[in-house]
Formats: sequence, C-alpha cells, structure tokens
Amino acid sequence: MVVYECNVCKRSVFTGRRKHVYERSHRERLAGLLKGFSSKVAGARKMIKVASVVKYDSLEHEQRFWCYCCEEEVKRHTSDGTLTVLYGGMLEHMKSPQHKKAVNKFWWIHQAERNLKEQFLLTSEEYERFKSSLIKALENYEETEDVLIKEVAAQIREVESSRFAMLQSLLEVCFLRSNEQYPNQLVHKMPVTQPTGEEEVWSNDAHLTGRATTCIEAVPTDCDEAGPSGINNKALGIPPTGSGPCLTFVGHQEMPVKGNVHTGALPPWMIPDEEDGTEAVQEIGPSFEEFLKQNINTEVRKAKLQKRRGVMRTNWQNNLFQINCLQHIPFCNISVWLQTMKYNLHTNWTLCMYVCMCMYFVC
Amino acid sequence: MSFLLPKLSSKRDVDHAIKTTSEKVLVLRFGRDEDHVCLQLDDILSKTSHDLSKMATIYIVDVDKVPVYTRYFDISYIPSTIFFFNGQHMKVDYGSPDHTKFVGSFKTKQDFIDLIEVIYRGAMRGKLIVQSPIDPQNIPRYDLLYQGV
Repeated sequence: MVVYECNVCKRSVFTGRRKHVYERSHRERLAGLLKGFSSKVAGARKMIKVASVVKYDSLEHEQRFWCYCCEEEVKRHTSDGTLTVLYGGMLEHMKSPQHKKAVNKFWWIHQAERNLKEQFLLTSEEYERFKSSLIKALENYEETEDVLIKEVAAQIREVESSRFAMLQSLLEVCFLRSNEQYPNQLVHKMPVTQPTGEEEVWSNDAHLTGRATTCIEAVPTDCDEAGPSGINNKALGIPPTGSGPCLTFVGHQEMPVKGNVHTGALPPWMIPDEEDGTEAVQEIGPSFEEFLKQNINTEVRKAKLQKRRGVMRTNWQNNLFQINCLQHIPFCNISVWLQTMKYNLHTNWTLCMYVCMCMYFVC
Repeated sequence: MSFLLPKLSSKRDVDHAIKTTSEKVLVLRFGRDEDHVCLQLDDILSKTSHDLSKMATIYIVDVDKVPVYTRYFDISYIPSTIFFFNGQHMKVDYGSPDHTKFVGSFKTKQDFIDLIEVIYRGAMRGKLIVQSPIDPQNIPRYDLLYQGV
C-alpha cells in the first residue's frame, strides 16, 4: 500500500487518504487553514466592488501570498512601477482556470466543506465588475493626483515668491546702504526692451542681474522656460522685442490728490512755490484762469461736436440724428425727403424707422 | 553731463525755465546723472544742443529733486523726456500708450533732431499734440501702470 502524504497535516499517513481525511485532527487543521486563507480572500473580495489604486511602494506592493490549492506563491497586488492595484494579482489568480482546477482537486483530496469552495473562486461576472470599478478608481486617482500637483505647484510658487520678496528686500537694504555712500546710485532695474525683431524673454534672473549690477547684463533666456519665473512675451502680448538697455525704475508714482498729467490736473508750474509765499509773475504760457477756461472750452466744443453734421457717429447716434432731421422736413417736400432717406438707407433699422414715419404721415 | 547741459535742481528752476522759454521747444530730461541710460541720452542731447539752439533749449532735471514734477508726469522710469513750447506741455504720439513723455534714450541724434523739428513746427501752428517722426522700431517699449486712470 502506498503511503499517503498529507499536505495539510504535513505528515505521512499509513492508513490511507480516504480514512485520514475524516480524521478529527485533519479536519481541524483543514478548517484552520481554510479560515486563514479565507480571511485573505475576503480582503481581496472587498476590492471587487470598490477597487483601490494607490501609488507604487516597492516594499509594500511586492508582497506575495501562498495559494494552498495551487501550492505556489502568487503576487498579491498588481503594479506597473508607478501605480498599484490592491489585490489585483490575487483576484486575477483566483479567476484563472488553473486555480479553479487546483481548488477542485484540493477539495476532492481533502474533502473540505463544499459551501466554502465558492469563495475561493472568482466568476467571470465578478471579474468584469472588478474591472469596471477599477476603471473608476483609476479616474479618481488621476483627479486626486491633479489636485495634488496643483496644490504642490501653488506651494512652490508661494515659496518662490516669498524667496523673491526676501531677496528684493535684501537688495533694497543693500541699496539703501550704498545710497548713503553714493546718493545717486541706481534704485531698481526694470526690464525695458527695445524692439529689434528678435523674440526674446526676460527672466527673473535677468531681472535681478539687472538690479544688482547693470541692466545690460540682462540675459535673454529660452522662450519655453518652465515655471513662474519665466515671463513669456507671447503670453503678455508684447510685440517681438530684443535685448536692449533697461531703464532705472524710480518707483510707481502715487497719484496726487489733485491728479496728474493723465487726469488733466493743474500743472506744477502754475502752482505758486510754497517756499516763496508770493505768487510768481507770469511771463508766458497760459495762466491758471486760462487753463480753466481752456478746459471749459474743450468740454463745450466736445458737446457741440456731437451735433455737427458729418461727424463720426455710432449707428444708433446716426439713426437718432436722422429722426431729428425728419421732424424739420415739411410734408409737402416729401420727394426730397425720400431721396435724402434713400441715400441714408444703410441699415435695416433705418428702414424700419422710415416705414414707421411713412405710416405716421399717411395717418 | 551737467557740465555740458544746464541742470535744474529745484521746482523753482523748472518753473522758471517753463515760464520763460519762449518761441523755442523746451526739453526737460528727467533722470539721474549717474544712470547709464541717462548718460547715453545726455550724450545725444549735448551733441545736438548746438545744432538745435535756435529751435530748442535743453535742460537736465534731477528726478529726485523735483518730486512734484515726478508725480505730476508720472515718471516711473528714467530717463523721461518732456517737451514744452511757450509754457505749454507738448504731447507727442509715439505709438505707445503714453503721449506725455518719451521714456528711454533716443537711438540716434537724428531721431531727436527730427522730433524737435516736428514739435517746433507743430507748436508754431498751434498744435498741442504732434505725431512722432521716429521709426517705431527705435522707440523703446515698456509697460505702463496707470493707477486708476
């Protein structure tokens, strides 16, 4: 009689397999083994409904499990080097026909409970369900990764801006110190470009170089420079420019309360000197009164200009003008008026107005 | 360059220059003597001042000494050049958004001479704004920051 070697009990049995599988010790060992195995399988089965995709971790995701039925080591998770599908390998193995065959064999040999057999096998329907949930999980993962990348980018930008501000403040301090020694030293350097036909970009580095030493040293960099440091002329809508001398920036001028040249404020040379206390004698040029008069005249002229014939009008202004004209035209002179209107018939709107007026006159 | 061109260092001087320069284009260069772009511009101004003596009077103004003017003309970059005629500020359409001042240096002496001539002729005809004769390629471009204007 051939000696039977039980894989579950790990011992040779002289009584034969058929008697051994019903032995109490074997049943207990088999139940324990299946209990342990089923707990692993239950973890994998949870993933059928809600698949999980995580970032690849070489230590964590290279784990293997021992399949008691196939008697071999199988990868627990599936990964492509960057992403890992948790329990992907296990579910794939459970779906394979070899595993099904091995499970059937195991159950036949060890006479395990038939009810338990189902949970160690994966049907094709379950596997399809797993695949669809996996697709969703991958999409979710990509979205979360995008959000994460944006957050990190924002953080990097913040750090960079704070570093830039710190550097700027340091340069300011350096400047102030040097300015005490050399009162007419440069304050800031801002890139001002002269168009030469070549397209180039000023980077912050170039900007800073210009600030620290001399702006001619500003180095044009590549257009495709990544990150917030790169300023692309294309993006800014500046016409193609080349390297040129950058100008000294003396700080943005706060607009005075009375306004500046752009808002038509009273010019400084018309304001009497505060130190003098006496009003300077006006030699030439417009006086304050004349300046005010000029302003009023300009406004009046603008108002008059609106009524002038031949002045450039917008479409609706033009129609309004024609309606005004119509009020002055007598009814008997309708042929002349019609000719005038025919000449002016440019738009459908005018046509409508014309028809309305005709109806009005007929009535 | 103050040894080649007369320098104005107070508001009163600038006021006086504006009010007393008659029948000539008054050129005020706002900047600093040590600034290298100002030096380039001053070189052009000083070399052309003699030729333009019948048409223009050129002064250099320290931008730090006349904050009233700096604020009024919204001078953020130096050098900035401003033109007057008979006490009237002359505006020039350079093709840039700002017509009130020329920012930066002229590329050639001829550019400056042409501009002065155009301003002079325009002003003599009573114009307050003239079209710049300078090639747009030779006009430096810069970003203006109009604060609420």
